[in-house]
Amino acid sequence: MKPRITLLFVLCAPSVLAAADFDKDIRPLLQQRCVECHGEKKQKADLRLDTKPHAFKGGENGPAIIAGKSAESPLFKRISTTDKDEVMPPKGEPLTAAQVKLVKEWIDAGAIWPESDADKAAVVDKRLQHWAYLPIKRPANGNSIDDFITAKLSENKLSLSPPADPRTLIRRLYFDVTGLPPTPEELHSAIPNPNSEIEKLLSSPRFGEKWARHWLDVVRFAESDGFEMNRARANAWPYRDYVIKAFNDDKPFDQFIKEQLAGDAFNADAATGFLVGGGKDRVGSKDPVLTANQRADELHDMVSTTAATFLGITLNCARCHDHKFDPIPTKDYYGFIAMLQGVQHGERLWRERSETPQKVEEKQARPAVVAGLNEDKFAPTPARFVRFTITACSTGEPCLDELEVFNTNGENIARAAKVTVSGTFANGTNPKHKVEFLNDGRYGNDRSWISNQRGGGWAQLEFANTEQIDHVIWSRDRCGSCSQRFSDRLATGYHIDVSDDGKKWRTVSSDKGRTNSAPKGPQVYAGTFQTPGPTHRNHRGDPMQPREEVTPAVLSMIGKPLSLPANEPDQKRRIALANWIASPDNPLTARVIVNRLWHYHFGTGLVDTPSDFGINGSRPTHPELLDFLASELISHGWSLKHIHRLILNSKAYQQSSAFNEAAAKVDSNARLLWRFPPRRLEAEAVRDAMLAVSGKLDLTMGGPGFDLFVPNDNYVKVYVTKAEYGPAEFRRMVYQSKPRTMLDDFFGAFDCPDAGQPQPKRTSSTTPLQALNLLNSNFALQQSAFLAERLKKDAGDDAAKQIQRAFALMFQRDATADEVSASLALVKQHGLPALCRALYNSNEFIRLN
Amino acid sequence: MNHLLHRRSFLQRSVTGLSSIALASLLKDDGLLASESPIRPLIDPARPYAPRAPHFAPKAKQVLMIFCSGALSHVDTWDYKPDLFKRHDTPMPGAGGLITFQGEQGNLIKPIRDFKPRGQSGKMISDLLPNIAELADDMCFIHSMTAKSNTHGPAENQMGTGYILDGFPSCGAWVTYALGSENQNLPAFVAIPDPRGVPQIGPRHWGSAFLPAAFQGTSFNAQKPIPNLARPGSISESTERATRDFLRRMNDKHLEQYPGDSDLAARISAYELAARMQLAAAEISDLSSESKATQDLYGVNDTNANKAGFAKNCIMARRLIESGVRFVQLFNGSYAMGEGVGNWDGHKKIHDQYAVHAPILDQPCAALIKDLKARGLFRDTLIVFVTEFGRMPTFQKGANGRDHNPKGFTVWLAGAGVKPAYSHGATDEFGYQAVDRVTTIYELHATMLHLLGLDHERLSFYNNGIERKLTDVHGRVIRDILA
Repeated sequence: MKPRITLLFVLCAPSVLAAADFDKDIRPLLQQRCVECHGEKKQKADLRLDTKPHAFKGGENGPAIIAGKSAESPLFKRISTTDKDEVMPPKGEPLTAAQVKLVKEWIDAGAIWPESDADKAAVVDKRLQHWAYLPIKRPANGNSIDDFITAKLSENKLSLSPPADPRTLIRRLYFDVTGLPPTPEELHSAIPNPNSEIEKLLSSPRFGEKWARHWLDVVRFAESDGFEMNRARANAWPYRDYVIKAFNDDKPFDQFIKEQLAGDAFNADAATGFLVGGGKDRVGSKDPVLTANQRADELHDMVSTTAATFLGITLNCARCHDHKFDPIPTKDYYGFIAMLQGVQHGERLWRERSETPQKVEEKQARPAVVAGLNEDKFAPTPARFVRFTITACSTGEPCLDELEVFNTNGENIARAAKVTVSGTFANGTNPKHKVEFLNDGRYGNDRSWISNQRGGGWAQLEFANTEQIDHVIWSRDRCGSCSQRFSDRLATGYHIDVSDDGKKWRTVSSDKGRTNSAPKGPQVYAGTFQTPGPTHRNHRGDPMQPREEVTPAVLSMIGKPLSLPANEPDQKRRIALANWIASPDNPLTARVIVNRLWHYHFGTGLVDTPSDFGINGSRPTHPELLDFLASELISHGWSLKHIHRLILNSKAYQQSSAFNEAAAKVDSNARLLWRFPPRRLEAEAVRDAMLAVSGKLDLTMGGPGFDLFVPNDNYVKVYVTKAEYGPAEFRRMVYQSKPRTMLDDFFGAFDCPDAGQPQPKRTSSTTPLQALNLLNSNFALQQSAFLAERLKKDAGDDAAKQIQRAFALMFQRDATADEVSASLALVKQHGLPALCRALYNSNEFIRLN
Repeated sequence: MNHLLHRRSFLQRSVTGLSSIALASLLKDDGLLASESPIRPLIDPARPYAPRAPHFAPKAKQVLMIFCSGALSHVDTWDYKPDLFKRHDTPMPGAGGLITFQGEQGNLIKPIRDFKPRGQSGKMISDLLPNIAELADDMCFIHSMTAKSNTHGPAENQMGTGYILDGFPSCGAWVTYALGSENQNLPAFVAIPDPRGVPQIGPRHWGSAFLPAAFQGTSFNAQKPIPNLARPGSISESTERATRDFLRRMNDKHLEQYPGDSDLAARISAYELAARMQLAAAEISDLSSESKATQDLYGVNDTNANKAGFAKNCIMARRLIESGVRFVQLFNGSYAMGEGVGNWDGHKKIHDQYAVHAPILDQPCAALIKDLKARGLFRDTLIVFVTEFGRMPTFQKGANGRDHNPKGFTVWLAGAGVKPAYSHGATDEFGYQAVDRVTTIYELHATMLHLLGLDHERLSFYNNGIERKLTDVHGRVIRDILA
């Protein structure tokens, strides 16, 4: 890195040399050779040379022009150097000697820069006039979705298509609202009045399951840590259930926001799973640089996701420098970081599900148990036997890597003791986990004992003689130099007893009095909250280069400003942030969420960059409609179902998807909605629909998800897709226990997001692997067989009836005579499952019109 | 809809007969387009793997990336430091109090194998990988590589995807997104995991992240074929044919009702491509047509099962390159199954562990390079041999192995477009930190794209508010190593 230049420039240097004429000589030169990289479009090194205020302000290395002192001016130094890596401009021919001389003379003569109109305009911040940063305004020229859509269509000499036929509309409504196809019976009863289905579907529990999946894409939710170890988060699922329930209950969206940022204050513990829904690098190290970077990346994920999800802004771009396009200075990024500084990844008590709220005994607070060293001191006592009994454990069977007992001379007498235990994991066959490792004097998971009992077990030491002892040291994984430390299987509830004869026992110590000692009660991966330390702006985003302290604050130039004192407690920060976001005055919040709903109903949002409403994002196709919907949301108590209803009942939504060549010439992607844009079903809908028609879909709601991967306990978790699925995997796919960045062989090919980064918009690709999976996988064959069984059960032995039933289940229509005869031929020769396999692969099945 | 691009608009934009890229380059020549505007390749959804023109004339058309998982020690292989021999078992000057990933440093320790001059060039390379060492005259070393993270997950992410965080597209996905492939019957991008298992970040090395799923690498090796590739045993050939015919008729009929919707046609072609791929991919993995001499060259019949397995993967890699597959990624070393057990992560017992890993890599990998050259495949193929970071010249305190070191390490290239028998940059006298022409992974990726005729500052994809690029906002082409 180059040295930081902090020289001041002098505004009024004496003009002693024949000045180069700025407008004649210098401005054109800057325009031709510098502004491409240092201008309005690009600002390499944060430097702009196109307008006076920018040029004199300088860039990330300080001022570029020191009036009167060419030798000290980086601008001159960089154009005159002979160092190839340094010389400017970096592309094309270097400046001529004459040009370099002109610049030198101009600087030495005082760098006189007469102000042009452009220079004057440069101080007015046009960015604040960006549409999305202006208040939401309910438009006067329309009062329904169709008013705005038809107006725009007629401006372009287009019109809505005729209404879709009832069958198509009902199929569309079912898939779009619930993610599942209608049964033939549901279809039949809905045909006379498809609109009556809308309310029914919005009230169905399936609605929340379908729409939660969309939300989980946006917030990068997954149930594993990501990075190298990528281990499962066994208790992350409550967040998914929270989202499903929130959508089903039509929880007001402003409350939904508040709970996700500060659910601990609103009796919604699981909701803050949002904050910690991203990746976490669990590889610990002794390297302070690495540790600082890991934490900085965690917070970066939290603030970026919060800003993108609720506000549709790319706050992440302001980590290292002021935002290149939007009015978001770096200090705003760090103000946001300060808002969430108290949030840590991890599990905490899920109070709504606990029967007895936990009482912390503050009196003799001792540190909470840790994976490393734990010490239990007690009054000196004689002991021939010491027993360590575990009564609660963070996960699975408890593990101890070492148990040390000290006599009053400070000697560890455990090494020579005889050990017995309640039982050992895998009967002691695991080479890393054996009884003899309990007192072998070697630390670390690789030489440890694990109980054979979930949540409990005991280990007992017998000494040769009675000894006077006064403390015990124990640990789960005390390996100081290992590349990672295990903190699962941690004994959180325990007592230590001594005995002279191995029969009569006295308790000398226990977890009692340890802070948060035993997580007694259900846990949820929804973050833990600590007293926030100070937040600093990090120079160029580097946590090893902290600069001035930053207090908790929101965006300084967008919406109403808000900043908090440096010592504001954690929860109050998050509540303040949530209130600021979830406010009718915030110009972004309501617009962003109604656009997301629109995006999932129509396949494309009114703004087709759903998480970027900034200057570099797209403009809305229908700005007034967007504001209309945002106003409706706010005036209807932030009810999302109200917006769904408005959309689903609109003519724009209910029109046919039929192609129209003339209209397509004007608007090929139907962004103006001259038709309902047809689309491919998403991965989850394909899987759910396959199960639904085969009759195997298990609609059990909630709770821990199912796993599409073979169980694996390696500390770097390895994900291998299960070869066969059974009833345990036949729930809706939203309940898949979704590992981060690991896609299963089958549905990963259908553009499932991998939750490495937020994905507010899915791609939809068509690949041969999709075809191979749908044709050849065990799952496809298995479901074909189940479907064939169902057809026989539903329709009896008549092949023609079976075929009609198949078409009704899969396509919601009758088979034509041609289709019946072709199907009959296939069934006769190759059996009913062959037909089912073919139909599962058909375009009609996977397509939504 | 979120298509790659609608076929209709694709056709409309293509009516002039110019791809947008060609058009862009014309405009650029006329000075009508800012040279820095992003280029998003124009993709026909019905043929996502169709070859696409690069931004400018390429030096290489295909890439073979060999990735050694776990961090292969540069000081024990490619980066010769006589001072390490001289100052063996003495403290590293200036390293007092230095804390690396696992903690404190012990003394400087000489390389675990001797070095000697190789080939015409006399390049000093150690005896750890003697067969590869003999190819020194073909190799272009970068001795001054640096990584942004000193832990495996983020560092493998960076080498594989350009970012230390999860969730970004792999280099292979970027390249196939830009260029498609020369072979329409095979996946455009193939990842070949080590027989011992996937690398430490697993499929993120070949994931498409937010790029369309079409550009995901397809992972298979000689031990494990493409999932669901083969017609299931329970389906007879005649049933298969009848089913496919029936399906085709259904889909054709359906297409007639929706004449304007190109993705329906795209899906029909995907089924045809799938059928061709079933044959072509099976053939790639069938090594029986390879001569005994070739098999022996690679070590296919070695009694060491891991070496034999890796040798088969190497032959497969050559066959894929020969078939025109755009990007082939070959992995040596797996995820951690215990420290340094499945891969090159030699923290505590480097002598013992490298004695296991080196023979698995050496002969098969050397054979692959030689074979590619002998078959004239160097002309179009860029070979990139990488690992996620280097290792310390010291041993860890109280251990017999080397800790992670992202401050200086070696990668090498060979084949199309790079200088043979060349070394770029250098670490200090112990191999600890890059000091001369310090190089970043951004620069490596930028150079790789450059050799393929792609401008790393312009190849982009819009996601979540940003025009994303493989090299983010960093990097420049390492001109010094270009042939």
